[in-house]
Amino acid sequence: MTTLADLRILDLSDGVAGAYCTKLFAGFGADVVAVEPPGSGHPLRRHGPFADDRPHRETGALWLYLGTNKRSVTLAIGSPTGRGLFRRLVEEANVIVESFPPGRLDPLGLGFQALWAIKRRIVLVSVTPFGQTGPRAGWRATNLASFASGGQMCLTGEPDREPLLIGGYQAEYQAGLQAFAATATAAQNADALEVPQHVDLSAQEGMASALETCLPSWAYHKQDISRRPGAAEGAHTIGQLLESEQLRARDYFREIEHPISGRLTYPGPPFLLSALPWQTGRAPTLGEHNDDVFCGQLGLSRQELTRLRAAGVV
Amino acid sequence: MFHLPLHGLRVLELSMGWAGPYAGRLLADMGAEVIKIEAVKGWDPLRSSTIQPPETKRPWDRAPSFNHLNRNKYGCVLDLANLGGREPFLRLVAVSDAVIWGDDEAALDRLGLDYRALSQANEQIIVVSLSGHGQTGLGAEQTSGLSHLTGYAGGPPQRIGMRYGDPMGGMAAAGAIILALWDRRRTGCGQRIEVHGRENLIGVIGENVVGYSMNGREPFRRGNRHPSMAPHGCYPCAGDDQWVAIACEDDAQFAALCAVIGQPDLASDPRFADVVSRYRHQDTLDGIVAAWSRERAKEGVATALQGAGVPAMPVLNVPEVFADEQLRARGFFENVSHAVADTWEMEGPHWRMSESPGHVRLPAPSFGEHNDYVFRYLLGLSEDEVASLKAAGVTGRVPDWPAQV
Repeated sequence: MTTLADLRILDLSDGVAGAYCTKLFAGFGADVVAVEPPGSGHPLRRHGPFADDRPHRETGALWLYLGTNKRSVTLAIGSPTGRGLFRRLVEEANVIVESFPPGRLDPLGLGFQALWAIKRRIVLVSVTPFGQTGPRAGWRATNLASFASGGQMCLTGEPDREPLLIGGYQAEYQAGLQAFAATATAAQNADALEVPQHVDLSAQEGMASALETCLPSWAYHKQDISRRPGAAEGAHTIGQLLESEQLRARDYFREIEHPISGRLTYPGPPFLLSALPWQTGRAPTLGEHNDDVFCGQLGLSRQELTRLRAAGVV
Repeated sequence: MFHLPLHGLRVLELSMGWAGPYAGRLLADMGAEVIKIEAVKGWDPLRSSTIQPPETKRPWDRAPSFNHLNRNKYGCVLDLANLGGREPFLRLVAVSDAVIWGDDEAALDRLGLDYRALSQANEQIIVVSLSGHGQTGLGAEQTSGLSHLTGYAGGPPQRIGMRYGDPMGGMAAAGAIILALWDRRRTGCGQRIEVHGRENLIGVIGENVVGYSMNGREPFRRGNRHPSMAPHGCYPCAGDDQWVAIACEDDAQFAALCAVIGQPDLASDPRFADVVSRYRHQDTLDGIVAAWSRERAKEGVATALQGAGVPAMPVLNVPEVFADEQLRARGFFENVSHAVADTWEMEGPHWRMSESPGHVRLPAPSFGEHNDYVFRYLLGLSEDEVASLKAAGVTGRVPDWPAQV
């Protein structure tokens, strides 16, 4: 337990960005509840590699990594019953993180104004590729298309070949790290001064802001100094990281046991706070905390939970 | 409308270059009073990041990179390596909330300004160090495994064309400072924060570590391809070095793509009819898509595909980012006037807050611009006391600037 335990976050997001943002909060001790669609669960559960190479919703590396220290409930927020329950969860939450296409929450009665009416100092964080407004707000984007929009793609690869994605899901992770800072700012402000906030975070703007010398040079001198620099020397493999004496001496990696995936090695804290120790809980199984949250927190009876389950709401 | 969220927070920024000042900029954009501290002999190297004609007045106040990264901040010249600078600095710590230290902790220790000394001056102080963001040796991009994951299929690891670990370190540090504020409201105490460039970047490729511990297999480089989607890549467009990114997530999007490129029959072609077949035949598929895109402008390609529900985006280069209609429509770029460097446009805050939208309120400080504010107003020193600091070389308005930079 840390002093972040009274920071309660509901995570409705469906990509890496929102999940990394809330993973960081959960890692430092905040109470993060992943609200997953019943049945299939969080879309990240579908990504491999899988433990023992057996595809299963509880054994995908991406979900295992991004789900650490969170709780999981299943809830169909598209149904009126599910929405009603979600609104009750909002009463007890500080922050909601979401990544729906802009405008999707309003018709569900879960837009910022509606949430504000439920909870006076709510923070709604919307993490999307292009932001909530503008001509491309409604465009679809995977990590690749999102990365193409921020200018950084033109900085990696061979000059005479196509520009390159940088490893993994970096458009999403960057947005996730920005969302972490933005969410912390808004949550702290709501806590201290009771100011509600709708945070509109565009992955494109975040990437454009991180272009270092390139953007200022163009803005000021109209010189485009961006180049694709080609191959790298001395790149460490994942195996080398796990054998690194420096990382070992700092106790960076953590072994975490999972009931279905077994004992695996996870990266430790990406940064250290002396008074907020990094937690070492595992990712939750799908709906693992339905009882805790719906019965324990909201006061539903077991019979009522059974009825909701039968109706496909949880 | 409310005050900016970090209104009333005072942050001392001793760090230079990119990572620490990026953290300071995020906090300043959200309303914190960030005071950038430099010395006559130890000024931010970004001040000399642009070559200036020899007759230029105050060339150190003109570098675009410096002025972008340090907007919304105050500037004070206070030499910590000078014994006379210690006491004013510790008094400043006593009236501040956080200190961003950009170098490693050993440098703090050498100056006798370690965490203990700072927390004795103010038990509520939050101290952040950023290490592993130096300009020498292998970058965090290489040592974190990120470069290893980056590259064309079958080719070597590729350099990341920017110091990716720096802005990522800055974001992490800014968020961590705010978490420490949350903690401080409950405990009354500050804390120390350490952001290590390598560890922070391992965090953003972490699923590869978990995956490796499952099966002992190194992830392989796949260029712009995806483990399951196809087509998924950057395709050439009309013009020199023009590209469009296209990703098909499912059968419906692939059928839509086939219709847009005028070959609807491809959707039922057995080579491409399902996810597995498309993945298997992606070389052929990439050739078909490229043959279509090559004749067309990238904006038109992306707009047509988006109109049919397919994720697509022109790959924007830096000038195109600056001119981008989406960013322009959102008012992302703001005009900023600087007393020495003139008026130009720079990017605004990185995220929008409905109840307290931020803006570029102040241009970057000229060297020592807010010395008086710090020494006279915050510390209450007399004119004579400030004059003796100046005489001792602790402060000044002109950096020790080499004849040729």
